[in-house]
Amino acid sequence: MRAGWSYVGRRALFALITIFIAISLNFVLFRLAPGDRTSALRCQGCTQEFKQQLRADFGLDKSVPEQYVIYLNQTVRGDFGRSFVTEQPVISELWQPIKNTLPMILLGTIISIMLGITTGVIAAWRRNTLADKGTVWGGLLFYSLPTQWLALMLILYLAGPLNLPTSDIADPYLAYSNAGAWAEFVDRLKHMILPAATIGLVLFGEYTLIVRSSMLEALGEDYILTARAKGLSNWEIITQHALRNSMLPIVTLVFLSLGFIFGGTILIETVFNYPGIGLQIYESVGNRDYPVLQGAFLLLTVVIILMNFLADLLYFKLDPRVTE
Amino acid sequence: MTVLAIEDLHVWFELPDGKELHAVQGIDLSLERGERLGLVGESGCGKTTAILAMMGLLPPTASAAGRILLDGEDILAGGDNTMRAHRWTDIAMVFQGAMNAFDPVKTIGSQIREPMQAAGLAKGKAARARTGELLELVGIAAERQDRYPHEFSGGMRQRAAIAMALACEPKVLLADEPTTALDVMVQAQILELLIRLTDELGLAMIMVTHDLPLVSQVCQRAAVMYAGRISEIGTTSELYHHPQHPYTRMLFRATPDLLAERDVISIPGSPPRLDQEIIGCPFRPRCDAAIDTCAIAYPPTRTAEPGHLSACFVEESA
Repeated sequence: MRAGWSYVGRRALFALITIFIAISLNFVLFRLAPGDRTSALRCQGCTQEFKQQLRADFGLDKSVPEQYVIYLNQTVRGDFGRSFVTEQPVISELWQPIKNTLPMILLGTIISIMLGITTGVIAAWRRNTLADKGTVWGGLLFYSLPTQWLALMLILYLAGPLNLPTSDIADPYLAYSNAGAWAEFVDRLKHMILPAATIGLVLFGEYTLIVRSSMLEALGEDYILTARAKGLSNWEIITQHALRNSMLPIVTLVFLSLGFIFGGTILIETVFNYPGIGLQIYESVGNRDYPVLQGAFLLLTVVIILMNFLADLLYFKLDPRVTE
Repeated sequence: MTVLAIEDLHVWFELPDGKELHAVQGIDLSLERGERLGLVGESGCGKTTAILAMMGLLPPTASAAGRILLDGEDILAGGDNTMRAHRWTDIAMVFQGAMNAFDPVKTIGSQIREPMQAAGLAKGKAARARTGELLELVGIAAERQDRYPHEFSGGMRQRAAIAMALACEPKVLLADEPTTALDVMVQAQILELLIRLTDELGLAMIMVTHDLPLVSQVCQRAAVMYAGRISEIGTTSELYHHPQHPYTRMLFRATPDLLAERDVISIPGSPPRLDQEIIGCPFRPRCDAAIDTCAIAYPPTRTAEPGHLSACFVEESA
């Protein structure tokens, strides 16, 4: 067997080191800016003593290495400070939006993967036919459309005819009407479908083009000719050999885009007024709510690194040639 | 007993500019049970195209005509579905450069089992056991069936490819340059293996190659192809000692021998393009014995000895 654990271990170590560097940079960047939290305070009561007191409260009178150790300690325990606006801990400020965003982007990704793989495979198999050309043009179109514009078009042309809500995450009256868990679930899904469709369509453009090109590459390989010679059916050739091999680049792509989509929902959630992590970031920028922003950015960085790590693991599982 | 007979096989490729390339221009071949036939010729003479046509593996831009008789049944006439039913169960193939003939993400064993399962011959434990036997037959330990292609050396992969070709006990084995890209020692082992297996299993084999000495080592008969046609066919010793066609004679002269007792004389010029009609003998521009008649018509087939045919106007004095 392959020395699997050493590969996994080294990938995990690499991910941890990257996270540590990201956390440290997060600390350094804010310390590099001139002045501190107290230097900008201009008010009648803001005497030097008051500012000194404030510095001590914030721990800013300590040396930089000491602050760094405290910062690391707090970060590891999940303590990112409190929001300037709500005075709640950052972690609880971020938790609810994340719970709202996750199912939405998962739904969008599933839509895009299923659509992208199906159309990409058909386009590659029926190369140079109308189906192929349609897929390429469609893929290019959706890939290049501005996200927020696509979201607006969905609201304009789909929300009305399909009777879908265009704002918020749930019908506020439903909670009072004792409609039951199923009705609430359906309501959530209705609120989720348009933002998820937006993500799905944008990603679909990217996926279908990549699937098509990596399928074309795989279909040209000698082992496909061997498979045909062995009397396998077209379905077996595609699923057992061509798709299995072209999954390798696709897996990496899907996981990387999952990481970026997590932060990239800002535009979509703003258009749909969907209370997820993207909308939270947008509002925190408006409120100059630095602790929340800092926490959110750190979280996004960690998610991207984690997705990278998962992609590495899956790649290892899928490709026997990857060893050390 | 004739296992495979090819009658007047033609293959055309449709070119992107609308022209047609007549890659195989009517070849006749027949193959007895247990017989090894060499198909020799320069690159682009249509030898690989011919055997891909026998398996029905031509690309969609190609069309084939003629008759391919397997045990007397015309398998070309029924289209792709008829062909598919015979692939690997009756006619199997060892591909050129088996390096890439295996799917890199699947184990060697699973790829050998695949055609057995597709044909419904064996599955589960029985298929595994059979795979082990096949690998042992070509000199690979049975346990190695769970290894991946990249863990095999070039020679081992070619052996495994031969084991895979035998998976469904075919009647005919088509080998397309089975030893190119292998070093001389491994090449010799693979050839010995092919000879032994065809003898033991009564398997008929067509071996495509551009290597004349290799054909005389392995095959009882050989067909020399030029510009999509067979210019000469006969037993290997007849071809060597009494070549009837100037092309065959010049091919032997262009092959170096080990002791370098004679000079290597290359054939001037290059084969004709097949996307336009050729009038007369296609070899005429390069031939050292051409006469006026050669420019007018394709030479008729002449029998020098029973079973030794050549297509040339000029009578060679052996």
